[in-house]
Amino acid sequence: MTTDTTQPPDSPAIAAQDVHKRYGDRRAVDGVSLDVRRGEFFGLLGPNGAGKTTLIEIMEGLRQADGGTVTVLGQSPWPRNTALLPRMGVQTQASAFFVRQSAREHLATVAGLYRRDPAAADRTLESVGLTEQRDVLVENLSGGQRQRLAIASALVHEPELIFLDEPTAALDPQARRDLWEVLRALKSQGRTIVYTTHHLDEAEALCDRVAILVGGRIAALDSPHRLVTAAGAPARLLLPVGRLGVEEAAALPGVDRAVLQGGSLVLETATPGKVLQAVDALTGLDGVMTRTATLEDVYLELTGAAHAAAGHIGPQAGPHTQTEHQA
Amino acid sequence: MSAYTALTAAGYRAQVRDKATLFFTFAFPLLFLVVFGLIFSGQDVEETGRPYISYIAPGVMSWGVANAAVFGIAFTLMQWRRDDLLRLIRLTPTPLTTVLASRYVLALAVGVVQAAVFIAVAVLPGFGLVLDGRWPLVLPALVLGITAFLAIGVIVGTYANTPEAVAAIANCLMVPMAFLSGSFLPLDMMPSWLRSVSRVLPLRYLNDAATGALTGTGSLTTIGTGCAALLGFALLFGAIGLKTFRWSNRT
Repeated sequence: MTTDTTQPPDSPAIAAQDVHKRYGDRRAVDGVSLDVRRGEFFGLLGPNGAGKTTLIEIMEGLRQADGGTVTVLGQSPWPRNTALLPRMGVQTQASAFFVRQSAREHLATVAGLYRRDPAAADRTLESVGLTEQRDVLVENLSGGQRQRLAIASALVHEPELIFLDEPTAALDPQARRDLWEVLRALKSQGRTIVYTTHHLDEAEALCDRVAILVGGRIAALDSPHRLVTAAGAPARLLLPVGRLGVEEAAALPGVDRAVLQGGSLVLETATPGKVLQAVDALTGLDGVMTRTATLEDVYLELTGAAHAAAGHIGPQAGPHTQTEHQA
Repeated sequence: MSAYTALTAAGYRAQVRDKATLFFTFAFPLLFLVVFGLIFSGQDVEETGRPYISYIAPGVMSWGVANAAVFGIAFTLMQWRRDDLLRLIRLTPTPLTTVLASRYVLALAVGVVQAAVFIAVAVLPGFGLVLDGRWPLVLPALVLGITAFLAIGVIVGTYANTPEAVAAIANCLMVPMAFLSGSFLPLDMMPSWLRSVSRVLPLRYLNDAATGALTGTGSLTTIGTGCAALLGFALLFGAIGLKTFRWSNRT
C-alpha cells in the first residue's frame, strides 16, 4: 500500500462538505456532509433513489457536484484525476467485462490498465474464490461469479480506498459469508471501504459506521450499535402461543404492546429483563425467545418516517409491523 | 504490463474468438468479388477498354477494409459504453489516447490482413487481376484510409447506443458510399455529375489510390491526391470523434 506523504495520517479518507447535486428539479443529493476515516468500513444505506449512487459517483470522480466540496485521499476527484485513480478501486457493474475473455484474461487486462502485471490477477482471483473459474469465459460465469469478478476488478491494483456497490446482492448465503471474510481481510490490511447494501444485518456485522441516506440527506450517521441504542426501539419477547392470553400479557408491567404474530405471542418492551422475570414467574421461560432491536428497525423507522412525511400511501411503515427478525 | 499491451492483447483475443465477425470481415468482401467476378467475367468496361476486374477488385477491397474499420470500432465503443466497460477504463489512470491507440493498431492489422487475403484471391486465374509493379503504394493508402474510416466509426459508436443503431447508421453510410464511390460499379460508367458528387466521399479517394497502386492506371498524382484527401478526412473526423466522445450513456 502506498502511504500519502502530503497528508497527516489521521486525515479522513473522504471529506464531503455540503455536497449538492440536482437532476432537473430533483435534488438527488441535498447538502450531504460526512467524513470517512482512514481504515474505516463505512456503510451507505438508504432506499433506492435516496441518492446513494449519485453521492458515491461524485466521490469516485464520475460526476461533478453542483455545490460543496469533496476531497478523496487529500485530492479532488473532479475532473478525472489520474494521480488519485490508482489509489482507489471501484466495483464495476457485473456486465463490465472485456468480451470473449476468460476471468483471468479480463482481470489481467484490468491489471494492465493500472500498469500491474498479470500475477496481480491471479492473486486477486484467489482472494475472491474464483481460481477454479480462471479459464472460464466471462460470458459463461454464473451471476454470483460475475459479481465476484466485478469486485475483483476493484481490488486487483491493491487500492487504499475501495468503493463497493451492493457487493453481496447476487450471492447465495455461503458466498455472501465468504465475501464478508474477504472484506474483513481488506479492512484488517488497513484499507478504507465504502459500500452500499440493502442487507442491514450485513451492515451491522461489517460496518464501523453507517450513514442512512433519505431523500438526498443524511438521516443518521453513527456506528450501528449506537444508532440502535439511541433509537430506543423496543426489544421483543416471543412466547409460544397459548402460554399466556394476549390481554393478560399486555397487562404485565413493562409490556408496551402484545400481539399475536407468526405463531408467537410477541411482547414489545423497553425493559426486557423485568418482563422476562414476570413471564418466568407465570409460565417459565421454556421456548421463550428474545429479540433485540436491530439496525433494520432504525432504518425502517427513519426511511418509513420520510415515506409518511412525503405523503406516500403504503403499508404502515413502523418497524414492528414490517419486520420479522431472525436476530 | 502496459495498458496499451493489455488492451491490444484483449482486443486481439476478442477478435479471433468472434467467428461471425471474422467471417464478416474476411470472407464477406471475397463473396462480393466472386459475385461481381462471375457477372462481369472476361468483360471490359466499354468507356475505357479496361477489364472489369481491375475496377472491381480494388473497389471491393477498399469498401471491405473501410467497412470493417467503421463497424469494428463502432460496435466496440457502443458495447463498451453500454456494458459500463468504458466507466471501468475511465476509473483507471489509462488515458483515452492509449485506448484508442490500441484499437487503431488492431484496426490497421485487420485491414492489412484483409487486403492481403483479398489481393491473393483476386490474382488467382479465375479472377485474373494483374498487379502493377507499384502495388506497394497501396499500403500508405490503406493506412490512411483505415485511419479516416476508424475516425468515422468512433463517431458512429459514440452516437449509437444499440447494436441495431450501429448497423443502421453504418450501413446507411457505407452502402450508398460504396456505389457512389465506384466500389461496386466503375465510376467511368456513371454520369459526370455523379462523379463530381463522389469527390466529397472518403471512399472515392481510397478507391482511386488503391486502383492506381494495384492496377497502374492513372498517374502517381492520383495516389498522392487520394492519400492527401484521406489524411484530411482522418484529421477532420478524428477531431470530431475526440470532441464528441462519451464515457457513459448516463449524463
